[in-house]
Amino acid sequence: MSETKMVKLLIDGQEVTVPDGTLVVEAAKQLGTQIPVYCYHPKMDPVGLCRICLVEIEKAPKLQIACSTRVTEGMVVRTMSPKVAEARRGVLEFLLLNHPLDCPICDKGGECDLQDFTMEYGPGASRLTEPKLHKPKRVDLGPTIVLDEERCILCRRCTRFDNEIAQERNLVVVERGHNSLIGTIDGGDYESYFSGNTTEICPVGALTSKAYRFRARPWDLSHADSVCTQCSVGCNYRVDARFGNIMRTFTRENSDVDGGWICDRGRYTFNYLYEPARLREPLVRRDGDLERASFAEAVALTAEKLGAAAAAGRAGVIGGGRLSDEEAFALQLFARKVLGTNNIDHRARLQRYASPARFGARLRDLDDADLILMFGAITPEQAPILDLRIRRAVARNAAHLVFVGPFKPDLAVPFHYVEYATGAIGDLMEALADALKRGAQPQGAFAIDLARNLNEASKIVAVHNGRNPVAASALEQLIETLLAVGKRGGILVVGSQGNARGAEAVGCVPNLGPGYAPLANAGMTTAEMLTAAANGKLDALFIAGANPALTFPDGALARKALESVPFLAVAEQVMTETAAYANVVFAAASQFEKRGHVTNLEGRRQAFAQAVEAPIYVATDAAIVSALASALNKPDVLDDDPDWLFSRLQAVEQAAKPAEPLARPKLDPSVTAHGDNLDAQRKTFTVVPVPKLYAGGGPSLHDPGLAPMRPQARASFHEDDALLLGIAQDRVVTLTGPNGSITVAANVGTSAAVGTVLVTADMPEAPVNRLLDASGRGRVTVTPAPLRKEALA
Amino acid sequence: MATFEPVIMKGIGESDLADIDVYERGGGFSVLRKVMSDMTPDAVAAVVTESNLRGRGGAGFPTGRKWSFLPKDGRPRYLVCNCDEAEPGTFKDRMLLEKTPLQLIEGLVISAYAMGAKQAYIYIRGEFLEGSRIFRRALAAAQSRNYLGDRILGSDFSLDLVVHRGAGAYICGEETAQLESIEGRRGEPRLKPPFPAVAGLYGMPTVVNNVETLCYVKHIIERGAQWFAKIGPEKSPGPKIMSVSGHVRQPGNYEIPLGIPARELIDEYAGGLLPGRKLKAFQPGGASSAALFEEDLDVGIDFDSLAAKRTMLGSGGFVVMDDTACMVNCARTLTRFFEHESCGQCTPCREGGQWVARMVARLEAGEGSQEDLRVLNVINNTITGTNLCPLGDSIMPFLSSVLKRFPDEFAAHVAHGACPIKDVTAVVA
Repeated sequence: MSETKMVKLLIDGQEVTVPDGTLVVEAAKQLGTQIPVYCYHPKMDPVGLCRICLVEIEKAPKLQIACSTRVTEGMVVRTMSPKVAEARRGVLEFLLLNHPLDCPICDKGGECDLQDFTMEYGPGASRLTEPKLHKPKRVDLGPTIVLDEERCILCRRCTRFDNEIAQERNLVVVERGHNSLIGTIDGGDYESYFSGNTTEICPVGALTSKAYRFRARPWDLSHADSVCTQCSVGCNYRVDARFGNIMRTFTRENSDVDGGWICDRGRYTFNYLYEPARLREPLVRRDGDLERASFAEAVALTAEKLGAAAAAGRAGVIGGGRLSDEEAFALQLFARKVLGTNNIDHRARLQRYASPARFGARLRDLDDADLILMFGAITPEQAPILDLRIRRAVARNAAHLVFVGPFKPDLAVPFHYVEYATGAIGDLMEALADALKRGAQPQGAFAIDLARNLNEASKIVAVHNGRNPVAASALEQLIETLLAVGKRGGILVVGSQGNARGAEAVGCVPNLGPGYAPLANAGMTTAEMLTAAANGKLDALFIAGANPALTFPDGALARKALESVPFLAVAEQVMTETAAYANVVFAAASQFEKRGHVTNLEGRRQAFAQAVEAPIYVATDAAIVSALASALNKPDVLDDDPDWLFSRLQAVEQAAKPAEPLARPKLDPSVTAHGDNLDAQRKTFTVVPVPKLYAGGGPSLHDPGLAPMRPQARASFHEDDALLLGIAQDRVVTLTGPNGSITVAANVGTSAAVGTVLVTADMPEAPVNRLLDASGRGRVTVTPAPLRKEALA
Repeated sequence: MATFEPVIMKGIGESDLADIDVYERGGGFSVLRKVMSDMTPDAVAAVVTESNLRGRGGAGFPTGRKWSFLPKDGRPRYLVCNCDEAEPGTFKDRMLLEKTPLQLIEGLVISAYAMGAKQAYIYIRGEFLEGSRIFRRALAAAQSRNYLGDRILGSDFSLDLVVHRGAGAYICGEETAQLESIEGRRGEPRLKPPFPAVAGLYGMPTVVNNVETLCYVKHIIERGAQWFAKIGPEKSPGPKIMSVSGHVRQPGNYEIPLGIPARELIDEYAGGLLPGRKLKAFQPGGASSAALFEEDLDVGIDFDSLAAKRTMLGSGGFVVMDDTACMVNCARTLTRFFEHESCGQCTPCREGGQWVARMVARLEAGEGSQEDLRVLNVINNTITGTNLCPLGDSIMPFLSSVLKRFPDEFAAHVAHGACPIKDVTAVVA
């Protein structure tokens, strides 16, 4: 890197040295000098619209805007001269001319830049002597936001966010001049996974979130520095509570992780805590029904049954990905040291690995990558803030984006789509890695294309879903080959649960202890435990924060296992499809009600603070397992104190010295590397489960804030297949596999490949796992529902 | 009567110069032929620079220097001809477009050649429907004779010209808003720098020149830089079309040598004032320019003399107001115009503009107050010079100038609750 040239300048008589090209507004910040801004936002290109940041620069004939003027050597800037003060007063007077001044009822009151700057720089009174102009109020902008056009100062941060950062180009200014309004390009809803960020960057109270509107004043809020666990990116955020109830979440920039943004799923998932579905006390099944019980009773019963099963070597533990690192560590301690079994697995989905064995990349690596390969991971749905980085890399740095997978996803930026059946990606990758290594020409048009892209690129980041072990190791070989010829690159694995990587790292897998330390006697994987339970070979299961009934690929097996196992205890925050089978349900604390660490998909361990107290009969997962350990006469193995657990975890991990390549978690016996062929006759269709950001059971199902965004379960067909099947858009169809069927409405288009049907994953009303086997494959026949008479009319 | 021999207006009204045969018979395209066969691009640019031609669109920036800012980095570059003439009081480009489109094309091709642009655009104001039709016909004719297109007149130089019609926004006359509009976006000025010469249309080096400017290029090449440079004042040379309107006997476009006194333009060219009327005010450079008055009639009409009077030559929209004109009424019309045309990006222009327009409208209706006058007298400080583009700076000049010169007339509207002038004739409606 070339040395950055530094320049010296004077701001209000104070000398400051900054890199050449720094904006005056940023240089002033270094001196602690605040230059007021509205349109300027450090994450977006300066536009120079609001004119509040006008400053005097010597030798310039008129005032200059600090937000877009770059420093030069010897520049003399005055930010508080009478001329500047007059211009600021003028701009503020203009902004307030028709502003409703409804601060007493405005959500932004107390943290409003218009209010604050008016107090500091503004005129005491308006000289407007006529009625204010009026604009629409309470505009329903979309599922998450209400817009007050009268409060809007047209700084355009929101539209620029949607355009520059989200790359969605839906939010725009409509009309002109002082009639300008914020709207959408087609007049429809503003729907974006990132919409909440606009309410935060809005410098006034124009964009307010429906979840927070009229619920609190900023000065009544307590703040806790937390980390979002709705996906595996691990965005940093602040949880704001009022009198012990969470009111909102707010970005807390960590530029290495989230770049200062959070997605709406992360932002709005907390109101489920206050819904009836929230478990507030333990439940015990009596005479077939789950009934309220004391914590002591639940612990005693569970300890008895689990203890007996463990003594017979017939117990298993599933979970960890929803827990903190400390708790996942405690959970595996509980399994191994209390129950004496290695039957522990956090994997309740298709994912096999939560980390690459080698060449782990950082999220930051996406920023300057020139080739991004998405293998099966649907980042907008599974890791939205990671997707923002991809969007920026493609839009701003002309990075080349290639998606390899069984269907064409809906991405915000241009990409090259390569259709490849789920299981077959491994074959492809192997062939490609092999070809590159030997310098041979790979087979097939796509592989040749990709090989050329790889040759041209200097930095390659692959984003994988961790499902296909052949693809995973082939990817590693591929990166190895590229690094060997002097290129840079790495691999990111998108986790299936918020703390999947943490659970894996602390040993919630059957063959590895904390720190990826291989164990002599591997226990059973989730699939093996479920198979054993279904066959009467397991007496008790303890499941913490996992929902295999909905998410395990072979749903029929999962449900049979949960039904058959003589004793099932589940620790959950809300009632789930899995908890419904339980003999004992523990009410578990949420992320907000405890503290600890979580590990994100790049392996970054981040601390989070407790935001609110849990309801009185709700216990943390660590408290639940430590109470069980005590009841099983092993009180010394465990403690529920996060600090105790964390120091133990660190000691164990240090001793284990994990080194690349990381040891790999044991695979399910069901895993086969290779793909299956499509049915050429088109009598059956290959099922492809498609993740959706707002799908899922558990908290997201019950959160009222997410309800308006909840997707409908859908089956998408290629238009040629739809023609063949005689189905049109929205026609209700029944998909029938060997073990079950679901009935959903159809989509017709071109995103599905011919011969496949895309089914929304993790929808409790139409679980796609009724149609799949343990390796995630399934074929279905398709039966259109009879048309009703009125539909024909 | 005026004695100046018209240059770019020559032949208008005498023959159909939009007909390519007529145009060619009058010597049309001979300059382009000469350029293509005898001159290098640099030689053409050098002549234009030497002539000291200043842009005729309003800002008066030296054309040759503008061209010289194009970086020589191998990127494609564009020439955009600005024909979005929408300044109230200006109607010269429309005439040139409709009456002598081939002259414009010839000047444009020569200019594109000089700057090395292979792609050019002409942005025609939306309301100029007839003009755009005439221009398209002329363009087709010129293309058919290889004055445009591939390998023009057998040379190595090729040029494609795209006709882009505006949709009625005044702001699209501002060069960067025009580029946004051509790119298919909302017509709003861009933040500068970067200037179009560095990053203009589609991010590429771009020159935006006015219709009249490009027409003069042809004649400068034909007659030489010194011919042009010796007309009018040294730093503001050449002929210029003035669009004279308002209370004169013969409103219209007049091509004058720059530097003649305003009095001469009114009396010698435009036929003088109407019988029995007295001059009250005149705007030398369109709606954006500050008014001048009886005592200023000897000011030279050129860039620098008018700038010295704190007004401007602008686009040459010369509006004359006699003693039957109510200054409040005129100010109301103009402030309303700028309020309506503000794109809405900058706070002072957007909010200040509508506030001023409301105050002036109230004054005219006889409902104004002393407070309004107090505000109008000082608001100039916060509206003018604080915006991203010149539109915001155009709101106040006329109003401020007449408010200063005729304070009693404004005060009378407050005191009497009505206009004190009998028989008000609207100048600009």
